[in-house]
Amino acid sequence: MSAAVSKKTVPTVGASTFVYLVIAALIASVPWFTGNVFYFHVGIMVCLAAMATSGLAVIAWVGQLSLAHAAFVGLGAYTSVLLVTRLGLPFVVGLPAGALVAGAVAYLIGKPLLRLRGVYFVLITFALNELFRLVMLEFPGVSGGSSGIAGVPKIELFGLVLAEQSQVYVFTLACLVAVTALLYLIRNGQLGRRFAAVEENPALAESSGTPTARTQNLAFVIGSSIAGFTGAIMAHYIGFISPETFGFQLSVSYVIILVTGGRLALWGPLVGAIFLTPLPEFLRGALEYQHIIYGVILIAVLRFLPQGLAGLSGQLTRLKGDRS
Amino acid sequence: MSFLIAQSIINGVILGTLYLMMAIGFTLAFGVMRIVNFAHGEFYMIGAFLTLIGVKWLGLPFPAALVVTVVMAILLGGLVERFVFRPFRADELSGMIASLGLAMILQHMALIIFGPDPQSFPSLVSGVYRLGDLIVPKSRALTLGAGVVILLAFYGFLMHTRMGRALRALVQDQEVASIYGVRLEIMYPLGLGLGVALAAVAGGLMAPLFGVSPFIGGTPLLKAFIVVILGGLGSIPGAALAAILLGLIESLTSSFVSASAADIVTFALVVVVLLVRPSGLMGRAEA
Repeated sequence: MSAAVSKKTVPTVGASTFVYLVIAALIASVPWFTGNVFYFHVGIMVCLAAMATSGLAVIAWVGQLSLAHAAFVGLGAYTSVLLVTRLGLPFVVGLPAGALVAGAVAYLIGKPLLRLRGVYFVLITFALNELFRLVMLEFPGVSGGSSGIAGVPKIELFGLVLAEQSQVYVFTLACLVAVTALLYLIRNGQLGRRFAAVEENPALAESSGTPTARTQNLAFVIGSSIAGFTGAIMAHYIGFISPETFGFQLSVSYVIILVTGGRLALWGPLVGAIFLTPLPEFLRGALEYQHIIYGVILIAVLRFLPQGLAGLSGQLTRLKGDRS
Repeated sequence: MSFLIAQSIINGVILGTLYLMMAIGFTLAFGVMRIVNFAHGEFYMIGAFLTLIGVKWLGLPFPAALVVTVVMAILLGGLVERFVFRPFRADELSGMIASLGLAMILQHMALIIFGPDPQSFPSLVSGVYRLGDLIVPKSRALTLGAGVVILLAFYGFLMHTRMGRALRALVQDQEVASIYGVRLEIMYPLGLGLGVALAAVAGGLMAPLFGVSPFIGGTPLLKAFIVVILGGLGSIPGAALAAILLGLIESLTSSFVSASAADIVTFALVVVVLLVRPSGLMGRAEA
């Protein structure tokens, strides 16, 4: 399915991508129109959610759903925070280190882990996320225990401290563009075709010469590195981390964003994050209703839009194409 | 020392009984419908609230409140199967994701109705049984006894009734079972309904011991997960073995090391079992 879709969209990629880019640029500039600090904050949260979910999407492209994604976000966050606060290293070192450590851990556990497929992979990643939280709580000297680490220094780029929300927004936006560009390159390159082949039919992919285990592991490492990268930025923006920050709930929220946006679509994470992340920020007073809305959206999307919101435009154009 | 071990074993068996009640429903739903139900713990919570309503607001005696809870839970489970899970029958992964959404909906609906604060449950019995040096609070003994009776009744249902046989046939092979006249449109809702009813009755039994709040479903769900992974998804004998094992491991580790160590040990065990033997201790191997 996904291979057919990507083959079909490759020739028309110029026009449709241009339209998407214009829409994305318009949405990205909303905070400046309002000039409100709060909107910049929401913009930052959308960017962070979209980035982390992009990592989850790469793993989903090889047909695996990870419930340990929050743990990798946490690994990146803790790596950067510890390097910056304990060793006095600058954020520009902590950020890539966060991505690197998350990727390295993914590489080490990926091989045995990815032998499991479907619900079994989901279950083991679920257990791993819990294990990460419990182990971190067990070492308060490193993690700050249940009270966490507060007062994490702000993002600093070569001497420039990003103290204003609008500055952080520009930075996260740039990072999101970079991550999305990376996803675009992977998707339209040879690697993307290998991913799609493994997702669609692992046995067939293996027998026609694609090393499925290595391909899946590579996707897991890339996706988890993106998670670690996001975690580092998140920690220095919010200024507080604790093992509880990176629990089951965060992993689930990434899954919801991914599924709502579209599990296999390039724009899925972005669409999902734009659609869902502002919700809690605007519904501060009615948190319970927000979760119920999330749950209902999730089930409704699974039922009626299995391709997610990003697949909606594709479904519509196909309908139009059939009619003409 | 030996006294401490004996006391830990008794506590472990009580814990194991609770875990088994959670795990059987969970593994039954997976065996019959191939659904990994992340909302299973919320039915434990709903059961606790239903029992609370029965005892505190309606003034029913405890056993009657439990019966009402079971009936309501079976109905609710059947409804959930019909309106949430049925469209995802052919798709395990989507069904599981849908259950994540269902869990959020149920938990936060309870939050809206009952508020976040834990509510106390009127205690049924007080005092302790003494066996030499060993101490068993009567409330726990009652829970254990009721749990064993319910599990035995459920075992009897599964082994010796027509419907129970049909459910077991579905766990073994869907297609063959339906060829032999097992009606899926009845058995699916029934399977899920009975499964969540077991979780609900566990919640009702535990309510006098641990109190009731919208957030109490998380831990039992985790335990059910662990038991079912250790025992093998879909295997009821595996769940029985793993539940008692888990109860004992937890109780002994927390007596002799610490409670948080017990959690880490069990999760590490889960990871190892999944890696070495994904089908669990007594599960069937599958592709």
